[in-house]
Amino acid sequence: MTIENVLLVSAALFAIGAYGVVSRRSLITVIMSLELMFNGVVIAAVAFSRFTPSAALLSGDPLTAEAIRSALTGHAFAIFVTAVAAGEAALAFALVFAMYRATESVEITDASEMKN
Amino acid sequence: MMEVSTLTTIAFWAASAMTLGFAAIVVTQRDVFRAAIALAGSFLGVGILYFVLSAEFVGVVQILVYVGAISVLMAFAVMFIQDIASGSRPAQGRLVGVAAALLIFAALAFAVYNTTWTSMDELGTDQVAALTEGFYEVGEGDDIQISLTEPTDDDAVVVENGGVLVDSTGSVGVLLVREYMLAFEIIGLLLVASLIGGLLLMRDRKESEPEKGSASV
Repeated sequence: MTIENVLLVSAALFAIGAYGVVSRRSLITVIMSLELMFNGVVIAAVAFSRFTPSAALLSGDPLTAEAIRSALTGHAFAIFVTAVAAGEAALAFALVFAMYRATESVEITDASEMKN
Repeated sequence: MMEVSTLTTIAFWAASAMTLGFAAIVVTQRDVFRAAIALAGSFLGVGILYFVLSAEFVGVVQILVYVGAISVLMAFAVMFIQDIASGSRPAQGRLVGVAAALLIFAALAFAVYNTTWTSMDELGTDQVAALTEGFYEVGEGDDIQISLTEPTDDDAVVVENGGVLVDSTGSVGVLLVREYMLAFEIIGLLLVASLIGGLLLMRDRKESEPEKGSASV
């Protein structure tokens, strides 16, 4: 398990999600694929936190508590992205329901017409 | 530092295979409900990956938020929308999708293998000791010294910290409410905003329609 392996898994998950976003027609599966892409990005952030030292520690300056904790910036980033993704998912499903009520369909091709 | 054991490597590849396998099912399965179940499996695999990467708190958050909440939301969404019987047909741009995904993956893989990553081995011994074995904050206010050994002065104010890479949960908590305080607050605001937005969008319009009609007549 090296940083290259982890980043490759993250890139693969992102690419699978991107394929899903482009190739699926149902809005629900498109949102699912979006969530997969979010996860791919977060894996990369955690991998950087685990395998690479932060710049503040490499500089050779005297140690500070901030510099030591900056090794976990990737974890904080991961938590923020997760929170944003949760809010996004809730809003996205509300939009899908609103569209389903208006057009009786959840297909992306019907969403381009902007009727009702 | 932080050698990777064989068991960790096996767990990493198992979790990766689980994540990518279920993700592939999500984007190819025609039955949307099965796709939602596979999505929960994929999220669980990502959660295990976080544990393998020694990010325990992120792993717990992943399982609580994604496996626990978002997957249930997906399942409910699928059950609410009756149209689902027709399945999720692939759009016309399937070849475009494959090409785009392969291109994205190739570009990312190229970047991964052509970058010289800094390694934890480049750190000095003091830094490594602080990261893995913990450190002591001596003093208060603006005058805080970092000590790697337990201070002998009994009068000093001492805060003991675990090694951030070994005991990451506590340090992430401190990081969130110190360095990222503002972002933390804004995330709370964002969640409230998305909650209100979701309620507004889901509101039954029929209740408000008669008022509108009577006003215009």
